[in-house]
Amino acid sequence: MSLQPLEADVRVDVTAIEKHLAELWRSSKEVGDEVLTRAALWNVVAHTCTSESHAQADEALGKASEAVPQRTIIVRANRAAPPEMSAWISANCHLVGGGKQVCSEEISIVAGGDRVHRVPPIVNALLIPDMPVAMWWLGDLPNEHEDYVLSLLEPADRLIVDSAHFDSPDDLMLIDRVASKTTTTPADLNWERLEEWRRATAMMFDPPHMRSRLESIRRVRVVAATSDRDYFGESVEALLYASWLSAQVGHHVDTEGKVEGSVGSIDYVIERRMQQNGVGGITFAEISFEDASCASISRDRDRGVLLANVDGNLSMPESVTRAVPCGIDALIVRQLKRTKGDQVLLKVLPVAARLAKRVAR
Amino acid sequence: MSSVAAPAQAPAANPLREGLEQERVPDASCLVIFGASGDLTGRKLLPALYSLAHDGLLPAGQTIIGFARPDYSDDAFRMAMREACDKYARTRPVDDAIWQNFAKGLFYVQGDFSQPDGYSRLNQKLQECDRTRGTGGRRIYYLAVPPQFFPVISELLGAEKMVTDPERGGPFTRVIIEKPFGHDLESAKELNRVAVSTFRERQVFRIDHYLGKETVQNLLVLRFANGIFEPFWNRQYIDHVQFTVAESIGVEKRGSYFEGAGITRDIVQNHLLQLVSLTAMEPPVAFEADPVRDEKVKVLRALREFPKGREGENVARGQYTDGSVLGEKAVAYRKEANVSPESKVETFAAMKVFVDNWRWADVPFYIRAGKRLPKRVTDISIHFRPAPYPMWRKLRGVDTRPNVLAIRIQPDEGISLKFDSKVPGPSVRTAPVTMEFRYATSFGAEPPEAYERLLLETMLGDSTLFARRDEVETAWAWLDPLLNAWAADPRPPDFYPAGTWGPESADLLIERDGRKWRRP
Repeated sequence: MSLQPLEADVRVDVTAIEKHLAELWRSSKEVGDEVLTRAALWNVVAHTCTSESHAQADEALGKASEAVPQRTIIVRANRAAPPEMSAWISANCHLVGGGKQVCSEEISIVAGGDRVHRVPPIVNALLIPDMPVAMWWLGDLPNEHEDYVLSLLEPADRLIVDSAHFDSPDDLMLIDRVASKTTTTPADLNWERLEEWRRATAMMFDPPHMRSRLESIRRVRVVAATSDRDYFGESVEALLYASWLSAQVGHHVDTEGKVEGSVGSIDYVIERRMQQNGVGGITFAEISFEDASCASISRDRDRGVLLANVDGNLSMPESVTRAVPCGIDALIVRQLKRTKGDQVLLKVLPVAARLAKRVAR
Repeated sequence: MSSVAAPAQAPAANPLREGLEQERVPDASCLVIFGASGDLTGRKLLPALYSLAHDGLLPAGQTIIGFARPDYSDDAFRMAMREACDKYARTRPVDDAIWQNFAKGLFYVQGDFSQPDGYSRLNQKLQECDRTRGTGGRRIYYLAVPPQFFPVISELLGAEKMVTDPERGGPFTRVIIEKPFGHDLESAKELNRVAVSTFRERQVFRIDHYLGKETVQNLLVLRFANGIFEPFWNRQYIDHVQFTVAESIGVEKRGSYFEGAGITRDIVQNHLLQLVSLTAMEPPVAFEADPVRDEKVKVLRALREFPKGREGENVARGQYTDGSVLGEKAVAYRKEANVSPESKVETFAAMKVFVDNWRWADVPFYIRAGKRLPKRVTDISIHFRPAPYPMWRKLRGVDTRPNVLAIRIQPDEGISLKFDSKVPGPSVRTAPVTMEFRYATSFGAEPPEAYERLLLETMLGDSTLFARRDEVETAWAWLDPLLNAWAADPRPPDFYPAGTWGPESADLLIERDGRKWRRP
């Protein structure tokens, strides 16, 4: 094998990918690259169907591997395409100081037509043993009954999706079923987008006198920034936020989406507000209490922060939480930095599926 | 006074914290920094507090009040601290929106540490913050001052009734003390006596910033969260252990302090003995303050005493002379500012130490610390015994070496394991190879500064990572005879050129046992 820069894509024989990877690393030693470390903490498999989503996965995981070294396997599988099976290898390298480089491997597999069925065994053979496996599914959600999907998900510890692209509450239920019926834990990039909102909300209720007020919530209003199209995914972030609050506070959501708490029925309102920027994100959340006071959080997009304050009978200093919009790569990194599946999300998913009926159109 | 008394029963945990990185956050309090005009405040404390705010780890309403003699306004203090954060904060560049909110809780009170009127003004400010910022009478006093001010500050805080305790029905008050915790056993006991005359022991947080370092904490995780290490962590498998705390810098502006301290008081008594106790301790029953510190102090109690009249037998002390470090000329210690030209103070110390207990009987712990050494590095290496039977001994090209587990505390934090491997080829030849874990490689992001972790732990009231009174006193009790013997010895320490690994006597100390210092 001729010596190539590690980052360059090298087309390889699909049946001997591991051998070619070994040669890639040997070649780096031959050129005297003693300052290079090969590292991996995860196997990350990105499943795509189109060249656009393949490119998106390539870019995001290339960046993510700087923070979480990983063996990246990007699959582009399209049954409608002409029969094809090919593979490329390369390395994602970055400097860590002192002139030292850390590299991790990236393998791309493109399969078309009836060759697609060969993808799961090839991917499974390429997984680094004793290392967790994350399956990032781009595009339409998988059919959980299909053998192809089951074989791919079988070794996966985590299934990463992005509910911003969900087109109906059924998708939430599908993910909930994956959680309850398989050993794969679902993970949602949209849920990761909520992290700062959850943090800012939790911070408001940290003082002991505020904590007790969680029981006197009467109304929750969450405003989602949406475009002019009637698309479910644009309000899922707001829906997840409301569902999280309800699940954590102990409110009961029935199959019709009606919510009951210890003080009686509680009004959950998810508003869609047309906006140019930040479509799909939350712009405002307001929690009203029995005594007519309310706590609110608003996004100050210019300053990249969330501002939280409590009005009415209570006063406390305004709190500020940094909330710069994250790229997909940063959301993936957040997800991979969790050593265990997110148990809170698992609690929230079924609630969100029921509360989805409250999404105002 | 508007202080809010702590509720009789702790409120339930905030359910909205579940699953967030910080599941437990402190209640808002007033953190008063005594000595706020000093170097530590600008270089470490405020940048650490700002970074905590940046990462969303400070509660809304957290208040910081600087207290010192120079006359600053709140705004001037804020401006100076902003400059400090711009320069030293881990989370740079400073985020304007976060800073503006953080700075709203930043105040300054002018006062002399020994004059009650300053304390009255401080108390008024504290009460005002309780009303406006929801700090509920909770106080943390950070004494970033030389130890001689500790008694007077404690006394005046007590006299002004600025210390409360939940066990006596009030909100918490905690006090953070910076090292040195005394100069010897007697002064340490006196400091502790003064502390407990105003505070209870559990209110006192003695900060040793080494304990806030990720790698030091990882030492416990490595030992007790992994099944494979602990069975080998004893005299059956370990030949010896080495500890190195090396600094490439000299005494810089601290000449007069160092003349009264020396490297043994400055590094060995605290940082190094902390590392020794964490390495040698038995598993605690829980990762909680007292169980962990109980086990650490048992190690200190088990340190073999220096033989009377022969205290210097297993030790080497040195002082740097002219030389060069990292290619730059370095002047001798005796030529540094505020250092006596005839100083006998040691800038290097190496010791062979034994932990006389069941686990470690007769396993030497070689420790060394020094200034003006070739590089800045802190490192622990566990040297295992060789394989019991040299089955390859008749083969040329086979030179087996003992395994070494090296724990790098700083810089480039990580852990490596050295073992022998067969060199590929038809004959049996071996070569040492290393399996490495580096924080930077595996976890990318820069770990939080030690002060961030320690300040947060104080706010949370968890003293696991702080030295307890008996730890400090036991360490001094062990070292005192050696320090007294050195003080009585008219001879100067052995000299070593700046930029080398200490005096020849340090090499002899280990080489006469048939071992060598590991190059860290």
